[in-house]
Amino acid sequence: MSVGEVLLQQVVNGVALGMMYALLALGFTMVYGIIELINFAHFSVFMTGTFLGLMVLHLFGFTGSSAALTGLPLVGMLLVIFPVTMALTGMLGVLIERICLRPVRGISGTAPMITTIGVAFILINLVLMIWGPQSKPFPKIIPDRRWAWGNAEITLSQVMLAVAGVTLMLGLNYLVRRTALGKAMRATAQDMDAAKMMGVDIDRVIVLTFFLGSALAGAGSLFFGFYYGFTAFYIGYTTGLRAFTSAVLGGIGNVPGAVAGALIIGLIQALGGQILGVKWTDVIIFSILITVMVFRPAGLFGMQAPQKA
Amino acid sequence: MSQGRRAGEPGVNAIAGWWARAPWTLRWRTLALPRRRQIWAGVLLAVGVAFPSLVGSAGYVDAAANAFTYVLLALGLNIVVGFAGLLDLGYAAFFAIGAYGYGIAASGQLKIPWSDVWKPLLWLGQVQRVPIEGGPDLVQLQISFWAMLVIGATICALFGVLFGAPTLRLRGDYLAIVTLGFGEIVPVVARNLDWLTNGAQGLGGVQTPRLFGYEFGFSPYPYYYLGLALVTVAIFISFRLQESRVGRAWMAIREDELAAGAMGVNHVHFKLLAFAMGAAIAGFGGAFHVAKLTTATPEMFQFPVSVMILVMVVLGGMGSVRGVVLAALLIASLQSVILQELSLWVNAVGRSIGSPWLARVQLITSLELIFGFILVFMMLFRREGLWPAVRRVAALTRDQQAALPTRAAEVSLSWATPAPRTGPARPLLEIQGLTKRFGGVAAADGINLTVDAGELVSVIGPNGSGKTTLFNLITGLTGRDAGTIRLGGEEISGLPPHEIVARGVARTFQNIRLFNNLSVLENLLVGEHTRLRAGALGAIVRPPSVREEERRAVESALEVLGLFGNRLIPRLEHPVYGLSYANRRRTEISRAIMTRPRLLLLDEPAAGMNPAETLELMDLVKALRGLGITVVLIEHKLDVVMDVSDRVIVLDHGVKIAEGKPAQVRNDERVIEAYLGRRRRVA
Repeated sequence: MSVGEVLLQQVVNGVALGMMYALLALGFTMVYGIIELINFAHFSVFMTGTFLGLMVLHLFGFTGSSAALTGLPLVGMLLVIFPVTMALTGMLGVLIERICLRPVRGISGTAPMITTIGVAFILINLVLMIWGPQSKPFPKIIPDRRWAWGNAEITLSQVMLAVAGVTLMLGLNYLVRRTALGKAMRATAQDMDAAKMMGVDIDRVIVLTFFLGSALAGAGSLFFGFYYGFTAFYIGYTTGLRAFTSAVLGGIGNVPGAVAGALIIGLIQALGGQILGVKWTDVIIFSILITVMVFRPAGLFGMQAPQKA
Repeated sequence: MSQGRRAGEPGVNAIAGWWARAPWTLRWRTLALPRRRQIWAGVLLAVGVAFPSLVGSAGYVDAAANAFTYVLLALGLNIVVGFAGLLDLGYAAFFAIGAYGYGIAASGQLKIPWSDVWKPLLWLGQVQRVPIEGGPDLVQLQISFWAMLVIGATICALFGVLFGAPTLRLRGDYLAIVTLGFGEIVPVVARNLDWLTNGAQGLGGVQTPRLFGYEFGFSPYPYYYLGLALVTVAIFISFRLQESRVGRAWMAIREDELAAGAMGVNHVHFKLLAFAMGAAIAGFGGAFHVAKLTTATPEMFQFPVSVMILVMVVLGGMGSVRGVVLAALLIASLQSVILQELSLWVNAVGRSIGSPWLARVQLITSLELIFGFILVFMMLFRREGLWPAVRRVAALTRDQQAALPTRAAEVSLSWATPAPRTGPARPLLEIQGLTKRFGGVAAADGINLTVDAGELVSVIGPNGSGKTTLFNLITGLTGRDAGTIRLGGEEISGLPPHEIVARGVARTFQNIRLFNNLSVLENLLVGEHTRLRAGALGAIVRPPSVREEERRAVESALEVLGLFGNRLIPRLEHPVYGLSYANRRRTEISRAIMTRPRLLLLDEPAAGMNPAETLELMDLVKALRGLGITVVLIEHKLDVVMDVSDRVIVLDHGVKIAEGKPAQVRNDERVIEAYLGRRRRVA
């Protein structure tokens, strides 16, 4: 393969990865936008989501050795698995908000963030206790079909990732921009007290934000499983931090920015790994995180500074 | 005290009463706090020294020696998180740097060809010359543990500054993320730089410490005593720092960074100092840990380690030295002893009831689960920690509460010289063309004004007229767009807030900004910050000069509080969050006076006070002017203003619209218009 083709291949891979990060980054950014909380538990919700998805697949009789589906059965199966898994992770997010985060809401300082670290540790270790430390194979229900593009190739799962990801993001955009709930969310993000006085049910808005963010993370979980073909208790941290970096890059709290940031991080991971070696990927990504935080805390596309005095 | 509560339990009551009246209890109560502390410290240290012979099992001594590493780390993190309020999620990075520092300097990891530069170190016995067959000789480092303790701590402190510097402008949660990033990068670098760290396999064969020919070797006992000594030093340092100018500055930053700056605390300097001190203690911990284990691998410094140390600090109570030590010992023994013993017991139970799961379960695997629950439960139910830092203070007696407010018989301050009321006016504050825009709104639009030394000037104006912005500009909290501000002929515009305070400008805030979890006295001592000299070293060693300046600072605080009669003096040790509104105002004014200002800016000092309290306060303000302190007052109670001021300046929409004697201003057409609106002209 020529250098150009290698790069093309990495761009394809990077965009696919970026889609997955975007789904996760949206959850970070939505929660931060509304209650200014960096939610470490989101990492673990994503990780738990892969196991919940696995559980749902098992319920439908798919195991690691099941044959791939094709045609209508495949589409139908995905249309069932995605909503069910997303509903489950969404409910997990709601539980976390309701039990652990609502009591510390409004407390200034680092208490809410420390709480989310605690929740993350609890989730990781519960998964570890229930499913054990070994990585679990993910059923390959998406057939391994590839299309050549020069010498680079694009797989069916990448295409489906992109299609499903774009669909979900458009849905989210519609919800935030065009519905009464979206208007309530935007109002709450601007000024929680004022929104409350105007009759917005803050608790409901926040719960729904956690539900949506966690449900999107659940979709990301399934993508992870189908894309990498396995899951394990430790996958949440690295993937989550990369998604978080995406959200920061796009300006945390900025929904379209998170998607753009995720695509950039996906590309950086794919291309940077190619150029400097995979072992330095994390150093590159965290250096980006630190640099953006320090020099452009509002993100690459952020309009207003997120730091309130 | 306990008698009322336990009236129904005569047995307990009798014992409690006997204990309370026992001679040793009475004697103990009469001892001063520092003396009681010394006795506690002596007892605990004696227990620590005797511990190995008490338990008589090398396994426990080994566990205790390992626990000391975590106590050290927790104490270090407590300086950063607990004292200075900077949430560091990558603290294990400093642990790693300290550990690898000693590991590399005391093992054969580096392959350096021999040259004569190494001769002095060879003579000192810090390196060895290793002949290699068929090649040049190599240098093998074997730098002494004791030297590396100091060098490693210094390197860590430098990294603390390096990692801390980018985070200075960031708010709490952003700072946490950046530190997390550094915490991730360091182990990755350690894993990838094979030539330096031997990669994922880790360093091996690190030499153990030696003291006057005594080889530490692999017995746990010498490490136990070494760890005990290091922990004792770290506790001592923590306590000394906490009760010093440095510790007060950290806590002021933690409580309210902006107010800390306005009281003269240089937040850049003190935040970096906190990072450096915390990192240096982690450096001790790292060197000690590696010396004991004789190996270092990247896995020892991952995110869960940072979280474990955070759990210790959160569990003990952020900022509480004793709490953190206790929690660190608790967590360490949970890890090394308690969970294992408990597992054996549970397994035995499981075997006897025939449950294979219980018979096999290893509770140690749930350690991180326990950490998670500790973090969540502490944050939900006991954020101040198990053993909080805030001292419980006896409530005021009924007599004290019911006492009539007295006023200072005579208002005087030993450092203030009453200004001569005659002679030519000397301008103290000169402002020219001062302009500040927020977007399209000019909060200050070409303001010119002068305040003479010894004057009492009021600034009035409708809401949003730019009064507070004027104060913010003078004190440097807000940067100006144009114009100059001079104090006593010296340009102060453009200086950071803490330097402006040092030049003699102090202020209070419209919405009181005190350091809420600090006592009245501590709040005032922060005001004295710029007058004190003690740095970190002075705070730790506490030489006579530092003792003397601390003593004088407390005297000065008592003198200032005396200005308010018996209002604040009985509440000296009370945390300010519990004070009444008026008393918090008084504390804030006292704190500003503590900086010994030439110019005192009071932003609505009488807000929220009743008429009697307002009059009392205004008498004080006039008295301060009599002591030679120039006062500028923002006030909404116009009758108050008209009564006390020498001169009144009226602002509207960032423009000075009138200036003069109160009587003149009162009748000024433009002022009436600004306050009441334009009079409609009758056609």
